[in-house]
Amino acid sequence: MDALLKAPRWPALPGWPLAVALLAVAVVLAANSGAIPLGLADWQALLGGEQTQGAMVLAQLRLPRVAFAVVVGAALGLAGALSQGVFRNPLAEPTLLGIPSGAVCAVALMLTVLSAWAGGLPAAWRPFAVPVAALGGAWVMCGLLQGVARLLVPGAVAGLLLAGLALNALAMAVVGLCTYLATDEQLRNLTFWQLGSLALASWPVVAMLGVAVAGALVMSRRWGQGLNALALGEAVAAQVGVPVVRMRRMLVLTLAVLSGLAVAWCGLIGFIGLLAPHAARGLVGADARRVLPVAAWFGAVLLLLADTAARTVVVPAELPVGILTALFGAPVLFVLLKRAQREIGGGW
Amino acid sequence: MKRRSLLSAALLPAFVRAQPQPRIVSVGGAVTETVFALGAQGQLAGVDTTSLFPVDATKLPQVGYARTLSAEGVLALKPQLLLASGEAGPPLVLAQLRSAGVRVEVLDDQHRFDGVLARTQRIGALCGREREAAQLVARLQQDWAARPKPPAGAPPRVLFVLAHAAGQLRVAGEGTSADAMLTLAGARNALAGVQGYKPLTAEAALQAAPDVVLCTTQGLDAQGGADGLLKAPGLALTPAGRARRVASMEALLLLGFGPRLPQAVAELTDRLHGRTA
Amino acid sequence: MTHHMLLLEEALLTRHGQRFGGFDLRVDPGERVALLGPSGAGKSTLLKLMSGDIVPTSGRALLDGRPVAAMDPLQRARRRAVLPQSHQVAFGLPVELVVSLGRWAGDDGGRWVRQALSWASAGHLLGRRYDRLSGGEQARVQLARVLAQLADVERGLLLVDEPLASLDPGLQLELLDTLSRFCRERGHALVAVLHDIQQALGGFERLLLVSRGQVQADVPAGTAALPALEALFGLRLQALQVPDGGWALCARRLETAA
Repeated sequence: MDALLKAPRWPALPGWPLAVALLAVAVVLAANSGAIPLGLADWQALLGGEQTQGAMVLAQLRLPRVAFAVVVGAALGLAGALSQGVFRNPLAEPTLLGIPSGAVCAVALMLTVLSAWAGGLPAAWRPFAVPVAALGGAWVMCGLLQGVARLLVPGAVAGLLLAGLALNALAMAVVGLCTYLATDEQLRNLTFWQLGSLALASWPVVAMLGVAVAGALVMSRRWGQGLNALALGEAVAAQVGVPVVRMRRMLVLTLAVLSGLAVAWCGLIGFIGLLAPHAARGLVGADARRVLPVAAWFGAVLLLLADTAARTVVVPAELPVGILTALFGAPVLFVLLKRAQREIGGGW
Repeated sequence: MKRRSLLSAALLPAFVRAQPQPRIVSVGGAVTETVFALGAQGQLAGVDTTSLFPVDATKLPQVGYARTLSAEGVLALKPQLLLASGEAGPPLVLAQLRSAGVRVEVLDDQHRFDGVLARTQRIGALCGREREAAQLVARLQQDWAARPKPPAGAPPRVLFVLAHAAGQLRVAGEGTSADAMLTLAGARNALAGVQGYKPLTAEAALQAAPDVVLCTTQGLDAQGGADGLLKAPGLALTPAGRARRVASMEALLLLGFGPRLPQAVAELTDRLHGRTA
Repeated sequence: MTHHMLLLEEALLTRHGQRFGGFDLRVDPGERVALLGPSGAGKSTLLKLMSGDIVPTSGRALLDGRPVAAMDPLQRARRRAVLPQSHQVAFGLPVELVVSLGRWAGDDGGRWVRQALSWASAGHLLGRRYDRLSGGEQARVQLARVLAQLADVERGLLLVDEPLASLDPGLQLELLDTLSRFCRERGHALVAVLHDIQQALGGFERLLLVSRGQVQADVPAGTAALPALEALFGLRLQALQVPDGGWALCARRLETAA
């Protein structure tokens, strides 16, 4: 209790070493699972620098994929926790809010209507056309939603969801238009990209996302208490001295970068951003300073589990991981909605 | 790249270049059909979701959808050769397979008969079945020469409808495999001036004014037969709709451009020109 | 020229075709001012102009000589605090965290949190989740937050916007008492929007009567204010002396329009 009252900027999270250890164990287990059977000998070979087949599969295929799942999961969990804080709503999530739809919309435009323009870009820039478009789309969508959410009272879940629904529908309408205008080749590219898969894992992308997640964690540390203040309402947060507009701008930018990068490389993977913060709140309480890093951890673990299942359930084929997260996420969301309704007292 | 050569060096024992009869993963219905036609099915380690003919192909391990292959999944089948019909992907996975020492060959037929012959020969060479390939090519050429010629007179206007999802009908313009088949069968694509597949609209259908509506058997069943299909916007009012001239053929046979191409063209020619039902 | 802590000069707000103001008034440290008026009169708007939550369309609202709305948020939070009308808090934040947010602009004063909770008679709520408290308990916690914010400040400004609605009368009086004492000890000025004329007369020295977007009267609290109050609310008021020296107010509706 005294530790909490002292209110340091970054409250000590008990059990940090345990959390890291658990994640490491999950990583090892995930790296061990897959279509090609691997064993202890392969790990030993890898660590010993020998170039056996097993060691190579670990180094070139498994570990990048597993690391990718960890950073993408952390990005999604953190983006979800940030959304919930910024919009003051425990059911907010980038997917429900339409932010990934904004990214999809931008990518659809880039792959179809603007593909001629994109083809004219210098070769060095072309691989970045889709990710940059995804980021821009996520950012624009985030800004639009913010404007609507500011008119809402905290706890008005229905209002926020409806706003997200409407913006989702708008983005999807644009995507529909692009689908209509697309050639077969473009259409196939777009459809595949949307399914939500971690197949495009590679060390450079892992590094890029790792940097983004690290930056976001720094941002979370800076603004954790500010997010707590935001839970009191924007007016009250401003009254106690929080620079609300500036903080929100930074957090929305962070959120859009995380969500946009994840969507850019992986397509639509839903529900991680919704469930990870809930799990975090269940474990460490509602203090945002604790919830943010713990949500990142839960996101990493959840996506790791989902992707491992995606890689092993229909061997030698692979399920798009977005399908798995939706399959398991939707029932859990239903349970959460029922509980939220009870707690908010039927306010919606 | 250093990484790539390390990987292939590690897997070198698994892949011997001079391997006469390599283990194969086949992606694409027509490619798989060709492998079977060459008698090389014993070399098949896995196939994709479109490999539906012959029936034995469906009993092989499934690597999934052609565009979303899994590098590890394919490697787990320990192939030396990946044969693909042009849609295999994603590119990163193909690169990973190549760097793991799997020979990846993408074989396009360009919707032409000579393309089919060339592909047959190439597959024969890759599988170590040159003799069977030469025999198959000869037989194909014979069947092709003997195929029924379309009768003299104006070619019928045909509209090909792709109808796999309920309510989502698309029609084939130029540059599609359906369009190529129509040309080979001596018919005219009613949807001229359009590239690729487009959604079906009532006005477009009426303007196209097809004499026959062509469909795949699977698609026709999904729409509930000819009656169901003709409920689509505009179709009922076209000449084909009013005369209830709806033709259908099995999807892989019709659009696959595989070893059964002469047979497919023969059947389509007969159907479209009204010689058979 | 005397410097006033809070100065409004022709502060005017036009919004949605409605005019609030121009307000001309001064508040000095230690004063206790009650804002009274019918619903929709503009009391909350006036309070927001004072707190810097709204920028006046024209005119000025100055705190310590500087425009309130333009002040740096941290500095402003060290000079004035607002107890709001609504107590909603998203998520199940614990009580001590809610109160500690009042200390955002100050040091990390854990001791002030405990102290403020005891001032608000809410010490027993430590460790509880805010969203599981009753309305009255939530009001105490919000009060504690505001007290924590200005606990180590002198001659500041405490603004209170109808926070006592739907609280039981005993609690209302208790909270007002706490506020009064707190402000007196530190020289804070207290400006409160109230609905209860009795409370206003009992606990405050100055009344600002607001109606139709204007300050209709700025009078000392006392029986002399009764005529102005009657005009404000359209009521007939009678002050009755009670045995222990206080006043009780009896209000009746006017039979005919004034």
